[in-house]
Parts: sequence; C-alpha cells; structure tokens
Amino acid sequence: MNALLRILSLPVHLLAKVPGLGPFVKVLSTTVGQKILMALTGLSLCGFLVAHLGGNLKLYAGEQSFNDYAHALHSLGPLLAAAEVGLFAMFALHIGLAISTAAMNRIARQKDYAVKETKQGVFILPNGGASNWMMLTGLLILVFLATHIMDMKLKANPGVDYSAAMNTEKIVANEYHAVKAVLSTPLNAAIYMVGLVALGIHLSHGVRSALQTLGINHKRWNLLLKLGGILFAWGIAIGFMSLVVWAMSYKG
Amino acid sequence: MVRVASDTLNSRVPEGPLQQKWDKHLFDMKLVNPANKRKFTVIVVGTGLAGGAAAASMGELGYNVKSFCFQDSPRRAHSIAAQGGINAAKNYQNDGDSVWRLFYDTLKGGDYRAREANVHRLAQVSNNIIDQCVAQGVPFAREYGGTLSNRSFGGAQVSRTFYCRGQTGQQLLLGAYQAMMRQVSAGKVKLFARREMLELIIVDGLARGIVVRNLATGQLETHTADAVVLATGGYGNVYYLSTMAKGCNVTAAWRCARKGALFANPCYTQIHPTCIPVTGDYQSKLTLMSESLRNDGRVWVPAAKGDKRAPDQIPDAERDYYLERRYPSFGNLAPRDISSRAAKERCDAGHGVGDTGLSVFLDFRDAIKRDGEDVIRKKYGNLFHMYHKITAEDPYKQPMRIFPAVHYTMGGLWVDYNLMSNIKGLYVLGEANFSDHGANRLGASALMQGLSDGYFVIPYTIGDHLATTKLEKVPEDHPACLQAKKDAEDRITRLMSVQGKRSVDSFHRELGLLMWEKCGMARNRAGLEQVIGEIRELRERYWKDVRVLGSGATLNQSLEKAGRVADFMEFGELLAIDALNREESCGGHFREEYQTSEGEAARNDADYSYVAAWEFQGAGEEPVLHKEPLVFENVKPSTRSYK
Amino acid sequence: MSTDVLNLNLRVWRQAGPNATGGFKTYRLNGVSTHMSFLEMLDVLNEQLIAQSEEPVEFDHDCREGICGMCSLMINGQAHGPDNATTTCQLHMRRFKDGDTITIEPWRAAAFPVVRDLVVDRSAFDRIIQAGGFVSINTGNAPDGNAIPVPGVKQEVAMDGAACIGCGACVAACKNASAMLFVSAKVSQLAILPQGHPERNTRVINMVAQMDKEGFGSCTNTSECEAACPAEVSVAHIARLNREYLRASIFAEA
Repeated sequence: MNALLRILSLPVHLLAKVPGLGPFVKVLSTTVGQKILMALTGLSLCGFLVAHLGGNLKLYAGEQSFNDYAHALHSLGPLLAAAEVGLFAMFALHIGLAISTAAMNRIARQKDYAVKETKQGVFILPNGGASNWMMLTGLLILVFLATHIMDMKLKANPGVDYSAAMNTEKIVANEYHAVKAVLSTPLNAAIYMVGLVALGIHLSHGVRSALQTLGINHKRWNLLLKLGGILFAWGIAIGFMSLVVWAMSYKG
Repeated sequence: MVRVASDTLNSRVPEGPLQQKWDKHLFDMKLVNPANKRKFTVIVVGTGLAGGAAAASMGELGYNVKSFCFQDSPRRAHSIAAQGGINAAKNYQNDGDSVWRLFYDTLKGGDYRAREANVHRLAQVSNNIIDQCVAQGVPFAREYGGTLSNRSFGGAQVSRTFYCRGQTGQQLLLGAYQAMMRQVSAGKVKLFARREMLELIIVDGLARGIVVRNLATGQLETHTADAVVLATGGYGNVYYLSTMAKGCNVTAAWRCARKGALFANPCYTQIHPTCIPVTGDYQSKLTLMSESLRNDGRVWVPAAKGDKRAPDQIPDAERDYYLERRYPSFGNLAPRDISSRAAKERCDAGHGVGDTGLSVFLDFRDAIKRDGEDVIRKKYGNLFHMYHKITAEDPYKQPMRIFPAVHYTMGGLWVDYNLMSNIKGLYVLGEANFSDHGANRLGASALMQGLSDGYFVIPYTIGDHLATTKLEKVPEDHPACLQAKKDAEDRITRLMSVQGKRSVDSFHRELGLLMWEKCGMARNRAGLEQVIGEIRELRERYWKDVRVLGSGATLNQSLEKAGRVADFMEFGELLAIDALNREESCGGHFREEYQTSEGEAARNDADYSYVAAWEFQGAGEEPVLHKEPLVFENVKPSTRSYK
Repeated sequence: MSTDVLNLNLRVWRQAGPNATGGFKTYRLNGVSTHMSFLEMLDVLNEQLIAQSEEPVEFDHDCREGICGMCSLMINGQAHGPDNATTTCQLHMRRFKDGDTITIEPWRAAAFPVVRDLVVDRSAFDRIIQAGGFVSINTGNAPDGNAIPVPGVKQEVAMDGAACIGCGACVAACKNASAMLFVSAKVSQLAILPQGHPERNTRVINMVAQMDKEGFGSCTNTSECEAACPAEVSVAHIARLNREYLRASIFAEA
C-alpha cells in the first residue's frame, strides 16, 4: 500500500519542482487541499454533464436539430480538441485523487473493526448512504465512460451496427442515427442504465459534499443545498436515462 | 493526646495594610534576570487550572518547565468538570460588587478559617483572570450587545459569576491547556503525560525533583529541577464515592507529606447537596447536578417513616418540606453544608426515599404548575435530561431524588503566602493547597483560586526563591535521586508481591464507606476514635490481602490504583485525626457535639482559630500538630445565620 | 424503578502491549444491573477477572460524567455505543438486552496506536493543538474583558465548537479515520472570535499540516463524525475550516 502511495504521489513531487507551482502544490498536497481539488474537478465535471445533457436533449427535437448541433461542435476543430483534453485531464485528476486519497485513508485506519455500524439512522442505501458508495459508483461510472467513448467517440463497439449512420464513404455522418444505434442495443442500454444509476448515486452525495468541501454550509440553506444536490443528481441521471428509454422505444 | 509543636508556623504574610500587601510584596520580591530565567528548570505536577496556568505562565517568562499529568492528555484534568462558573469582582453589573466584597464573602463563606491576606489577594487578581481568559478565546457567555454576561451563584447577593454554558471549567481548562501547548511548541514546556509522581526528591532541604512512573511503559523516571510545583488537586476520593474523577488521588501530596511537608486542615471537606443518589454496590462515582436546581425545586421527604408510596400518592399534608420548615427565610436555598446535613439527618431518621432509603425528593411539581413546563425546560433542560439519562426517571413527571456527595476538599498541603510549603522549593497550588477557602468554599471560587495561583501568583513568587537560593545542579545519579527511585521501586515491588485475594477497588470501597459513615457530613468523638482504629486495621489487611495482577513493566491500572489506595489508607487516618482534634463545627467540618440548640454549627474561635498543619511521623504513628494562628485584622468573625 | 438484571456475553479486544498481536476474548458476565453505566459494567467484569486471577481489562476513563473525554470504546461498532450525544461513561446498561453479545474494541486509527487492551494513545490531538490551536497572548497582556465586544450569537457558535471534549470518537467513527471534526472545532472557535483573528491564517495551515503529519485520513463528508460526537459538534465547523483554509492558502498575504 505504501509503495502504491509513493508511486501515486510521484507526479505531485515532480510538479512541485516546476517554477512557480511550488506553493500551489504545497496546498494541494494536504488532505484538505486535495479534497478541494476533488470538489473543484467534480463540480466542473458536473458542469460538463449539464452541457452534455443540454445538447443531447436535442435528440427530442429531431434528426436535423441534433445533427446540426453535432456538426456545430465538430466544426470547432482544435477548440473542441482542447476542450476534450481539458475534460480528460479533469477526469484523470478526479480519479487519480480519488484513488490516492482512498489509499491514504485505508492506511489511516490501519486495522478494520470487527464490527462497524453507522450512528446516523436509516438510509435508503445500506452501509451509511451514498457517501459510502463513492468509490464503487465512481468505478461503475468509469466503466460506463469507457464504453461510452468506445461507442460514441470511436464508434468501435463491435456489438453495434453503425451502418444506418454511415455515408457512402463509410464515415459516420449522421450522429442522430449513431446514437440510436448504440442505445437501442439491449446490452448497451443495460450498461448505460447501470452507469447512469451509479452517476445519480455518485452525484447525490458528490454535489453537496463538494460544496461542503468548498466551505459552503449555512444553517439557513443546508436543507436546500442538500435537496438541491439530490435533485440535481437525479435530474441529470434521469435526463440521460430518458434518452435510453426513448431510443429503445422509438421505432423510425 | 495530640503532640503539638512548640513553634507556630510563619505564614510570611507581608506587613502593611491588607489592600497594599500584595503590591508591596511584588516590589519586595527579588527578580530573576530575564537572561537567567532560561537557566532554571521548574517541575509542575498536574495540568488542571492551577498546573496548566502555572506551566504556561512560567514558560512565557522563559523558565524551562517540565509538566506532568497522569492522564493521557493534559486536557483531561478534573478542573474540566466544574459546571457553574468563575467569580470575579468586575462589578460589570453595577450591583455594588468590589474586591473588598468578594474578599469578605469568601472569608465569611469559609467560616473564618482562611488566611485574610491570601483571600484578599485572590479577590484582587480575580479581575485579571477574566481578562486573561477572554483574551485566550474562552467563550464566556455574552449579552446580545457583545458584553460579558454574569449570573448570581451559590446564594451570592451580587451577580459576579462568569460562565460558559454549564461547562465553565472545561473552557477555562482548555484555555490554560492551549496556552501551555503554545509553550510546548515554543520549546519552553516539556510535556510528560501518563506519568504519576511517586516520590519527591529533596537535596539539602530543598525540593529538587521527582520520581515518576511512566504509566504506559511502567518505567520509573527521575526528573530534577530547581523547584517543584504541585498542582495535583484534592483528596475527595478518600471517600471512594465522590464527584471527583476516578483518577483523582492524594498520592503526590501525600508523598510530599511523608517527606516532611505539612498537611493542613484535612478535615475540611465539602459535601454537595444535589447529587444523583447511589443505586448499588457497583456505583463507581457520583454525579453532581448544578445547585441552581434548588432555585425552583422543593426538597421534601414523607412525614411518615418508611412511607413507600409513590410521591404523587402522598398528599401535601403528609410531606415534610424540612428545609422550608427549619430555615424559613432561606428555605430550599440554605447553604450547601446545611442542606446536606439536613438530608442525611432525615434519611438517618428513616424518612429517606428510593430503594436504598438514601435520598430525598427535589420536586418541581409546583414550579411547573406555576411557570409551565416550557419555562422549567428552558432553565434546567440539560440537567433534567442528564438526570433522566442516568436514572431513567423523568423529572417532569416525578420528583428528582438527590443525596449529598463529597465534592471538594478545602484542606491540603500547608503553604505560606508565597504558596511555598514548609519544604523550601516545593510550591503547592489550587485545590492541593489549603490556603484560600478556609473551612468551606463558595460556589464558583475553585476555578478562581486555581487560575489565580497559576497565572498571577506563582510566576512572581517562584522567582524570589530562584533568585535568592543557591541551587547547585543535581545530577540524576545524586544519592537522593537514587534513594527516591529505590523507594518508589520498593513500594511497587511490595504491592505486587502481596498477591492476596481482594481487588484494590474492594478495599477502596471499604475505606470509603468507613470515612463516609464516621468522618463524612457529621462527625463525633466516639465515631472518630473508632474509625481511626478501623482504618489502621484495614490498612494492615490491605497490605496482607490486596491482589495486583500483571506486571509493573506495562500499563497496569490495578497497580496505579493500588499505590493511590495505599496512600489514601494513610491519609484517611490523618483526616480523622484532624477531625477529632478540631473540637468545633465550622464550614465543611461538623462535630455533632458542637452545635447550637437549633442544630447549627457552633464555631469555637477562642480555641480553634488556627490552621492545623500535621507533620507525618510514620504510618500508624501520631502526627505532630503545627499551628498557624489565624489573625483577623480587617474583618470581625461573625456567626453565619441562615434562619 | 425497575431492577432488571442482564446476562451478557462480552467480546473484548485484548492486547498485551503496543507491539503484541491482539485478539478477542469472550467473557460471560451475569447479573448486570440495568442501572449500571457501561464502565461500571466493565468494573464488575474486572472484579470477576481478578477473582479468577486473570488480568483485568485496561480501559481509559476518568471523570465518568461525560466531560473529560478520556473514555472511548467502540461498542458493537459504534463509537461510545448506540446513543447519540453520549460518552461511554454516560451510557447505561438499560440500553442493552438480556443475552446480548457486546463487541468492545479500541479506537482504531494509525494515529491512535493501541497501548494496551482498549487503551489507545491520543497524543496526536495534543500535537495538533500545539501546532496552532491557541491564541498567542502572554499572561498579563490582556485588555479588559469587555474591551472586545463579541455578539452573543457569534459567541454561541464559537462555544458549539469549543464544546469538543477531544475524545477521538470522530476519528474512530470515520471510515477514513479523519480528524477533521476535532481540528475544525478548534479552528472554527478561534476563527469566529475576534481574539483568534490575528493568527487565523497560520493557525489553519499549521493545524492541517500537523493533522496530515499524524497520519489521519481525509474528510469525505459522510457526517459519521457528527453522529458519533458526544459533544454534538457539527460538520458546519468542517465547512468553516475549509473556508479558512482556502482563505489562508489562496487569498492571505502571509
């Protein structure tokens, strides 16, 4: 475990050597700093989800509208590439921090209890609620994400028939049909549904938790923040899920 | 007959008018050059209000301080449990308070058995304490506008008590602890937690170090210094059951007493009337509930002996509101000692309630009827909750049951005006000394004394000693150190080798019961003479039959307790001897032979206006009595009356 | 008043020393009065063990009235047992049922090494306070107590944090063995009060650094600490620590 930790912290040490980054890295090498970075990346990813869902909802507006949106995105060229790199970095940081802090936290406990019970009463999810499922749901989301990139970005899922979306040069020209092709495969639909449920759970703790980590907590607003976080999480998850349902049921 | 030393003790109170004594003394004392302070090392044993404050202040001055406590952290010291508050003569409420009034109240409350000059100094520095604590970030209760709140406490006629909810002791202790930890990080204070002092090292008549046991590893350690400050709290656990923490003990003080330090007024013990009663033999400690409950609760017992009906089945005519009956003007607010004795008297007469018959009712029925449950809940909600939690009885529906318990001990090692014992270089602060409360302590004054001694007295007086005494360096292998370490070692070996049949606790409980029965709230000659013999006999049995398992080389709580109980066994005898010697009733010491026709304490100023300081002569040997006459130049002793 | 008695099975962690391998031992304890506190129940167990010439179970305790913070114990997987806002010494046996098996473990954290049996070393907390949990004011330097007004409402919030008893239940209950509730209680108290302002930036930076150095885990906002805290310290203090930390590390000049 310690060796793993050393390897994981290597980039941080290297980064600290870069001129001007020293103080920044110093802050981020504390547990509090890391959680702050975790919160910032998490919230940024939430921002991405909102934009992504907003775009995807154009599916409901019909083939033309969605393809126009897809085309507009693609025509951004290098800008899009830069955004994708940024997004990837955000994910990488979020996941990397999750793994390294989880490893440190295991070390901090040192020895497990023979018996461990929550004192917080009853949750819908067992074992103390969503906050204790972040690692598992995160991993599920990661698997889902990998599938998603393969399906949509690379169009390389062998189980999907992309032919309806392709033009004569065998290049995907119709993203609308591509989406439908991906989502209407039962196995894929199942993977997406599981991934999105995991996303809902992950965010239902993640949003409120990120705000708390950034210091946003006020007696007067806490209930609102908590419910708002849950509402946001399931709003996003259900929004995406509706597209899966739509693709499965839409014949045409 | 008691052996009395021919000379009287010199309290070294400075000359001059009372109000100017302390200021004049501050000027007269020699100072240690700032550059030289770092050459001196001071040991402070105990990290409560007195010890923590002393270590912090002396560290700030530049001395090297070594701080010791038996708990796992200095923040656990039992000062933490004080609920009520801390007095100061700020007169923020504009209700006529003054240094003189606080001085007068404290002296009178102590039944004129304290030293005038010490009490006046205490009142004088009380204001500095509040300022200091506020500056440290102690969150004293405030008004909406931001100024400090006060309340009237313990029957005082003015509102001079500062408080932090019901956790004043905790907050003041954490303030002192934090100040001390700041010095730890500055390198001026070295912290030694989980250490128990077992011996005092005396070299050339000067206190020069201590031997401690590292409770986590069992190792004995020798620490030398230029002076030793004891702030090790009171000895209430000689009664086994008390409101003290389980670890509170007399060992550090008693080890010094065995080396020649005089122990003063051990018979002055304070009993608190509103504690939760004992439920069974397993009971390990008693829980105090704030006295403020008596502002609205009415104390009563059934008028008929052995009346076992539920309280709500007993009509008013068949209830005896005995405090209201006996003390019509003070009623349920009669002082601690008086209401405690009255409760015991009723229970002894067979009117006690509860399974054990050892409790009286404290009834809020009428207050709830008058003010409504909400008002009562607002005032006492947390206390009612605590009571409910411990007893599973709901005080909103049925009366509380209360009984008195040992709460504070006014006696302690004898000290002069500088807080130095008769062993030069050994200073004693806080509850561990005897100096400021006389025969009885007023509410919210214990915290005041601890912090006064620690922040504002010892930092100055210890300088005088260090500046004026020739102090050669004492190496750790000095014969006196080796001897002290060997003594401590031998004692441990002796305790471990008894290998008898009974646990330490069972002996402690037996001792406690003896003390409580015959040397508790009310004492008499026959009982005291008898109990002295019983304690001696118990001590003999202890050394033949105590069972301490395990080894001395690890954490071993039985061994820790065994050493403490062995000291209580010797100390308890002294307490009884002092109680027997003091043929009067005053404050926390009530001799049944000496009471007025109305059953009130009868003081004897002609014969007993002195501090009784006892010199140890060996276990089972009669101690020698040294007297310090009490002279009252400014206040004329009067008789307390609460009719 | 009921005088029920319980017969219990106690599964107690025994460990001879810091480096010894520990393990559970099960003891049968009969005739436990429901009026006993949990620690009194352990006293009775120890009396039984001593009578059988077995070394008693070592456990930390002192005031037995819920304020000193010395008692600990993980009782059936819950810090200080099943009740909220309660220390082990204030937990009573009427909370258990006849025939229950009760598992008793020490606090578990790398920063709280076991000393013996159920006793752990919590000196890490002292070192965290030492790193900055104070106001730097020498004795004698203080202005009049009323010189700095503190609104009563603010005072109350500061007192909520100051109420921490330093028992370590937050660390014990947290799945990450994080000390954030403990650290934040002090940071928060002194950040709210004007007396603490001059040092607020260095305080939070240094205390967090020491917390990390001691090997405590990080906060994942599960709020388990708050539920376990006998002094009911709220996780709102953790948010305040985070704010203070951001402020100190990003915006502060020094």
